[in-house]
Amino acid sequence: MSVIQEVAKTRGAARETRKGDGKAAAIFLAPWFLGLGLITAFPLLASLYLSFTDYSLLEAPSWIGVQNYVDMVSDPRWLKSLGVTFRYVFISVPLQLAAALALAMVLDRGLRGLAIYRSAFYLPSLLGSSVAIALLWRQIFGADGLVNQVLAYFGIQGVGWVSHPDYALGTLMILNVWTFGAPMIIFLAGLRQIPTMYYEAASIDGASKFRQFFSITIPLLSPIIFFNLVLQLINAFQTFTQAFVISNGTGGPIDETLFYTLYLYNQGFGSYNMGYASAMAWVLLLIVAGLTAVNFLASKYWVFYDD
Amino acid sequence: MRATTTRRGRRNAAAFIALTAASTLALGACSGDAGGPAAEGDDTGSSEEGGGDGGDGVEIRFSWWGSDDRHQTTQEIIDLFEEKNPDITVVPDFTDWGGYWDKLATTVAGGDTPDVITHEERFIADYANRGVLADLESLDIDTSEVPESIIDSGRVDGTLYGMATGVNAYAITADPTVFEEAGVEMPDDTTWTWDEFVEISAQISEAAGDGVWGTQDIGFNEAGLNILARQKGQSLYNEDGSLGVDAETVAEFFQIGVDLQESGGTPDGSRTIEIQNAGPEGSLLGTNAGAMGVWWTNQLGALSAASGHELELLRMPGESEFERTGMYFKPAMFYSVAEDTEHPEAAAKFVDFLVNDPEVAQLQLTDRGLPSNLSVRESIEGQLEAADARVAEFMADLESDIVDGPPVPPNGAGDVQDVMIRLNTEVLFGSMTPEEAAEQFLTEVAEVTGS
Amino acid sequence: MTDTPVRPDAHAATTDDRSPVRPRRPLSEVAAEIPDSPRKRSWQPRARRLLKHALLIGFGLVMLYPLLWMLSSSFKPNDIIFRDTGLIPTELDLTNYGDGWFALLHPFHHYLLNSAIVVLGSVLGNLISCSMAAYAFARLKFRGRPIWFAIMLMSIMLPIHVVIVPQYILFSELEWINTFLPLVVPKLLATDAFFIFLMVQFFRGLPKDLDEAARLDGCGHGRIFLQIMLPLSLPALATTAIFTFIWTWNDFFSQLIFLTDPEMYTVPIALRTFIDATSASSWGPLFAMSIVSLVPIFFIFLFGQKYLVKGIATTGIK
Repeated sequence: MSVIQEVAKTRGAARETRKGDGKAAAIFLAPWFLGLGLITAFPLLASLYLSFTDYSLLEAPSWIGVQNYVDMVSDPRWLKSLGVTFRYVFISVPLQLAAALALAMVLDRGLRGLAIYRSAFYLPSLLGSSVAIALLWRQIFGADGLVNQVLAYFGIQGVGWVSHPDYALGTLMILNVWTFGAPMIIFLAGLRQIPTMYYEAASIDGASKFRQFFSITIPLLSPIIFFNLVLQLINAFQTFTQAFVISNGTGGPIDETLFYTLYLYNQGFGSYNMGYASAMAWVLLLIVAGLTAVNFLASKYWVFYDD
Repeated sequence: MRATTTRRGRRNAAAFIALTAASTLALGACSGDAGGPAAEGDDTGSSEEGGGDGGDGVEIRFSWWGSDDRHQTTQEIIDLFEEKNPDITVVPDFTDWGGYWDKLATTVAGGDTPDVITHEERFIADYANRGVLADLESLDIDTSEVPESIIDSGRVDGTLYGMATGVNAYAITADPTVFEEAGVEMPDDTTWTWDEFVEISAQISEAAGDGVWGTQDIGFNEAGLNILARQKGQSLYNEDGSLGVDAETVAEFFQIGVDLQESGGTPDGSRTIEIQNAGPEGSLLGTNAGAMGVWWTNQLGALSAASGHELELLRMPGESEFERTGMYFKPAMFYSVAEDTEHPEAAAKFVDFLVNDPEVAQLQLTDRGLPSNLSVRESIEGQLEAADARVAEFMADLESDIVDGPPVPPNGAGDVQDVMIRLNTEVLFGSMTPEEAAEQFLTEVAEVTGS
Repeated sequence: MTDTPVRPDAHAATTDDRSPVRPRRPLSEVAAEIPDSPRKRSWQPRARRLLKHALLIGFGLVMLYPLLWMLSSSFKPNDIIFRDTGLIPTELDLTNYGDGWFALLHPFHHYLLNSAIVVLGSVLGNLISCSMAAYAFARLKFRGRPIWFAIMLMSIMLPIHVVIVPQYILFSELEWINTFLPLVVPKLLATDAFFIFLMVQFFRGLPKDLDEAARLDGCGHGRIFLQIMLPLSLPALATTAIFTFIWTWNDFFSQLIFLTDPEMYTVPIALRTFIDATSASSWGPLFAMSIVSLVPIFFIFLFGQKYLVKGIATTGIK
């Protein structure tokens, strides 16, 4: 047990407070401030301004106040897209992170050919945004795909999963889990930061693997888990490419894969309602920022930093 | 007039910048700098580019969508044009269909509209009504060899904004090999009715066995609805852009899909949608899994290549069933000129070349539809092979039976196909009856087209 | 808008019940007492290892099925890809590779080269600028830090589709359209908040004793950053480099919008030009060139991932 306590102690040791580092911070943040002022701020504020206008892209915007926001509330497709997105985020993000962490643990050390395995498991993530993904996904979940071939072997007749209103969203969730490569790599990098001596010492102390996982791995990895959670959440809310490519841009069948960003894109570039799309984007930002804030507040109770 | 319009496009962007940047402290200096050249451009016309219209070194940008074959032939066409007009450089700007519209809208918003724009029926009104496109009749483009009806297909509210590149028709494509294997006779397409179409499809599904169906569903494209409406003396849109079809006809159209499905003529809902998203290559015809499908005539080549069979074109069912024929020639694409182009003469010269030069047609054949210029069309007839030749023949045959062309679809017509796809899916999965879907269709279309 | 998301006093989270029972000793001392782990030589671990390999290979094959299908299809003639969908091609036909390479206006290596330029600029930019910003957020105390941090995170919460048009107008006014500048300069200016946050998390995971000790030795922030933080964060830097490489290599939308001349086109745009929803698509060449474009990122990953291994555990902390 002693080493586990050692870990806890290192984390918890009181620090002498240091006076401000304003000048150093200004230097280290100089590129970022420059980027914020020159490149990030303008499009951000412009989209906020546009959200209060009627803007077709093809003509100059005209101010209409909060009309876009008002319209949103009574837009059934907007509500639908919100529902689809929430369901997707809250199911597929935890699953993806669990898969990523599990694989990262397995591929961390102690096995021959780890480099090959890691690369192989990362490969799908490289394809996630490819135009070919729609076709490839059909090879698995299509009416004549791999899944149905296996089911047929057991005498079960499947449907075309990707294009059935009841299952289409599910296949997209699986697609998201399938591309767990990025969080897996980040977990791997995080696991490498945990000194092996902790584990070695814990083994000597007789701590089980199970206990090691919860007492060493999870606490020491918690900043990285937190990072993945926050970022995957932000990304999942903006899921676009997969749904776009697989549903041919329609969000079909029957809007069952009409992700928030897909609807926003269709409004902005398909229907030339960029004002409405911008308003949608800012509502999304508020939602995501709110959830992220909750995440940060909750992190006080489970994320451990060594500072 | 031209000077004003040049100013206009730039001003949109500049006003936009000013409005939003004013609130960005950090950008204050930056937008001041950027405002400089734009404001200068207003006063002196094309000072930024250096050269005036018609002078040497004029550069125009030509944008189009397509896949690799079209990109190559178009580059050859551009080379030919530059050879004949050494003082004009044409900069190509191409991408696939989806990316094309995002990019076009963005460049228009940024005041960088391409000088010559390839356009499409469903989007041209959106651009024309917002002042992005130039009146082609005020430019020097020879239209004497193009039939009036084809020219009219590029008019929005009486002004010519698009020069049709060529024409297509929406027709049934059939695979005689599958018909033969199923032991079903090919129909007489001048007399067949919609009911016969459903019946034949069911017969084929039944006779051909597992994994082969009579036809691919026909309800995802509003062109099919338009043809049925026209057969009944209606039209999807009226001249003024309002809806010209009643709920009964729309319901009847959706009902055809239901009948096909119930009789086994088409695959089940989920497979139907999967195939619908798979393009010509993954279609029932393309994979030898079906006898019929409804496609634009210019897709015959792609379908034939994918299927490996010699496919045939048939007229739509019902052409002799009701009041009149419903089929029509659809402009495949349009060439448009930007209202704020700095080189209207050069742009016009290029469009004129694209439409009227027989050498252009020699290169692209029917890739942008059967050429709208009749003498050009004639000049390539001898060179058309296989699928292209059959399309030309089919279209020539059709010519005398086509009554008129439908008006240019109104603003927002690009959204109508999405509505159509969604509602047809509802009907195929039984979550809406054809009648409910019809009512919903009329409401939603009226909404998106603002009528 | 949100309550301060970053807490400068994160150590408060470790409450008393977790505080050590024994007096504190340096970790190195603890480690020194650890004997070599006992090695049990029996058949059991070997069988388990074999089982693990078998499971991994099986799982890997399922994961890779779509990719293998694409690889196999790239060897089939374009016309039969959809008719003959089996995984094993009946013949090895290389024409898709030849056709694909020369199908577009420029040979495919032209696009590979353009992509390489954009990617290298982006990787360098992100490595330098994001690590600097991350150091400030992770280790420096300055006023408004939580607020700046929140703003940084907010900047990635807006979908690209609504910021791309203002961005285009901005870059157009700067006359940067159709150059690589709109794709590279933002990276040099740390606009990729993802990586800043990533490195903040890694930096905060490093024992603070280290820089504290360095400070007592009179090191400035520059030296702490360069000589302590960066070498110890190799996994994070490798992750940043790998991800920037891959995401930039695959990024379609902004490259499509900002590059207008085919001369400047990059791999993702070139790949799109093989297919078109309205006419015949060249799926065979698309698959072939997709495979070709996967090769560089696969190798970057294969070689890059070994740096993920060189964490604190191997560089050793004394």
